[in-house]
Amino acid sequence: MSEPRTNVGTAGRRILLRGAQGVRRTVARRPRIFLYFSILGPGIITANAGNDAGGIATFASVGADHGYKLLWLLIPLTISLGIVQEMCARMGAITGKGLADLIRERFGVRWTALIMLALLVANAGVTVSEFVGIAAAMELFGIARYFSVPIAAVAIWWLVVRGSYQRVERVFLVMSLVFLGYIVSAFMAHPSWPTVAREMAHPSFEFSPLFLFTFIAIIGTTISPYMQVFIQSSVVEKGVRTENYSLTKADVWIGTIFAIAIVFFIVISTAATLNVQGEHVDSAAQAAHALRPLAGVYAQLLFGIGLFGASMMAAGVVPLATAYSISEAFGFEKGVSNTFREAPTFLGIFTFLVALGALIGMLPGLPIIRVLLITQVINGILLPIILIAVLRLVNDRELMGRHVNGPIYNIAAWVTTLIVSASSLLLIIVTIIR
Amino acid sequence: MLYLSQVLGRPIVDLEGERVATLNDVIVRLGEDDHPPVAGFVARYRRRNFFLPRWRFSHFDEQGVRLNSDILDLRPFTRRDGEVLLARDVLDKQLIDAAGKRVVRVNDVQIIEAAGEWRVTGADVSLAGLWRRLSPGFMRRGTPVEVIDWADVGYLATDAATVQLKSSRGKLTRLHPVEIARLAEAFSYQQGAEIVESLDDETAAETLEEMAAARQAQILGDMDEERAADILEHMSPDEAADVLGDLPEDKAEDLLNRMEDDEQSEVAELLPYEDDTAGGLMTTEFVTLPRDLTVGEALARLREMAETPNMIYYLYVVEGEQSWKLVGVIALRSLILSDPSLPLAEVMRTDLQVAHADDNADDVAQKIAEYNLLALPVVDEIGDILGIVTFDDAIELLLPKDWRQRLPRLLA
Repeated sequence: MSEPRTNVGTAGRRILLRGAQGVRRTVARRPRIFLYFSILGPGIITANAGNDAGGIATFASVGADHGYKLLWLLIPLTISLGIVQEMCARMGAITGKGLADLIRERFGVRWTALIMLALLVANAGVTVSEFVGIAAAMELFGIARYFSVPIAAVAIWWLVVRGSYQRVERVFLVMSLVFLGYIVSAFMAHPSWPTVAREMAHPSFEFSPLFLFTFIAIIGTTISPYMQVFIQSSVVEKGVRTENYSLTKADVWIGTIFAIAIVFFIVISTAATLNVQGEHVDSAAQAAHALRPLAGVYAQLLFGIGLFGASMMAAGVVPLATAYSISEAFGFEKGVSNTFREAPTFLGIFTFLVALGALIGMLPGLPIIRVLLITQVINGILLPIILIAVLRLVNDRELMGRHVNGPIYNIAAWVTTLIVSASSLLLIIVTIIR
Repeated sequence: MLYLSQVLGRPIVDLEGERVATLNDVIVRLGEDDHPPVAGFVARYRRRNFFLPRWRFSHFDEQGVRLNSDILDLRPFTRRDGEVLLARDVLDKQLIDAAGKRVVRVNDVQIIEAAGEWRVTGADVSLAGLWRRLSPGFMRRGTPVEVIDWADVGYLATDAATVQLKSSRGKLTRLHPVEIARLAEAFSYQQGAEIVESLDDETAAETLEEMAAARQAQILGDMDEERAADILEHMSPDEAADVLGDLPEDKAEDLLNRMEDDEQSEVAELLPYEDDTAGGLMTTEFVTLPRDLTVGEALARLREMAETPNMIYYLYVVEGEQSWKLVGVIALRSLILSDPSLPLAEVMRTDLQVAHADDNADDVAQKIAEYNLLALPVVDEIGDILGIVTFDDAIELLLPKDWRQRLPRLLA
């Protein structure tokens, strides 16, 4: 027993016995997903989350009411959306913190309260719009909203609180891919491409309340406040770091261009089908007409599936993200693995938003498209508050170091903020005067 | 008792009661003290910040600060090492409450005077603290507050790099690694890394093992290489191999070569195996005993082992000294209960379940569950034992995915 440990040991020692000591080791590479794909994603998902019930309604009525006239707006909109999304993604990558977290740590309690209130109201609007979308989609299949909305609300609440929402989310995501059909439909509707090109090059603007309303709805549904919170937190969750941020940047821009491209085809297909016949969009059934060139009699079915998927997805995610943001900002216990006793505020906000959305979505005789547009206008009006906060944070050298905005970037971002603020004010003034 | 929110912005007056500046921030020196003393103030006068040391003032209360002389040093303020500015570095930041095992946000800071010193005694994390700062003065009431004793602050999530609490290490180590990991995951990536780095090697290793695989790799990859290698040595070989597999190749190689020989070879042996096989799941820490020992001798050897592996409930019996050929298994329980003079060969079970290195990981986990095992040995083609798959790794595979994630992700 002079050497008691010779064989009582670990297999690691075995290698030493075999004389492998001192060999410089190399690491065998295990196959794993290419880095690019693991980082790609947040930008594309977030930008396209904008094409939900509110987005479809807004752009369908833009195409129906204004034809190709507002297409020019999509060009500056692409730049603005890309810049705003990129700033938030950059903040997520550099600081590793969520937007609400940064707002609280940099601006103190009072500003945080104001910004969070704005976010809560805007997101409550979005949640309402998603439940209205669910109601509208199911009514296309002949199911009354008194059945569909409560069932959907309970299902969403249950799935999220149980923590299994993520799995069903994919199903909804696939369903919402139906909206890609607008691309085909736009071509099959034989729009007047020369007119499209001409309108893209000739910006037109009016100071009428209706125009301003539509203008702000377009901005509000494309650059929604919740999207900034989303992109930043998903960049943080993905663990994107400063070194591989360039991939995320590409992802943001690809996502933005793709999302606006879909919008472009939605407007064209509605303009080429509804506008030329002088029809307006007042219901989901009418909005579905724009898919007729592609699907014929199945247009309603297709539209219903897409609308349902997109609405169900956002109806779970938006209230959840709101509850996370507010809890993060004020330091409340958060996470769906908690019980009501452990995280009353977090689960309270989530439940309140789902319940509010469902209640309004069930109101009899609700002018669906009108309500959807109004919620997007609320988004647009509150957007400047979030944008100013984002701009001040992203230009904070202590926070961002050398990754603050460049001068051109800043000008573009401030111009966006100013235009949105000015037109929001204008709309409020015009509405009050009238 | 003072609250930071009540004194910020209050006037600083001279001997005659004349206002000379405004209180901009409170400076505290963090050290070994459980309740760090106020070292001075940052005063603001004509858009300029200057330092007001402790010995320059005589009164400090809700009305503001009274100086004890008419001489003011107006040189601009610069922060020195170890100094914390309460408004800038503490207020609104997150911290770990080591007593309550949770992450909270600082709504206000409590300062108490004792024996002529003002000391930071606690962090107010209550809604009342929030309300105190939100509401206009006349609406403030004496609502009960929820204050975290400053002595229980385990980690302060602030950007000021030099201010980490010197005593925080001890406070966090009181917690279980699972709890530390859960708390660290509530912070940003950088702060989570800071928390792990502040721990001793052993606790850091155990904490990392409880974190998500991608995060483990990130944190170790960004750490000082020598420190990372030290922590890897303390991790169980299978976990260490998993982390190295998630790192870029040259980084993993560098870390591996910095590890001590023993641990290095254990980990290196595991590296070639695929993640989803028995080889990828197994650990190389196990005990083998030659079959010709008696029960008594075997127990003696166990006691003399310098480092016992975690898993000693199963002892694997091999053909002889220097051999790795697996012939049987003995549960620690039967070893202890058996007659010490019996040879192992008579006590051991020979009808044992084994897995092969390239077996599917899910099947292996299933087998462990079916046969109610604590561990399953992995053998090569000639029957030599390579490692063991322990039940804790098997559980991770068998539990539904959502259950393992404490926080769901907002977007897939």
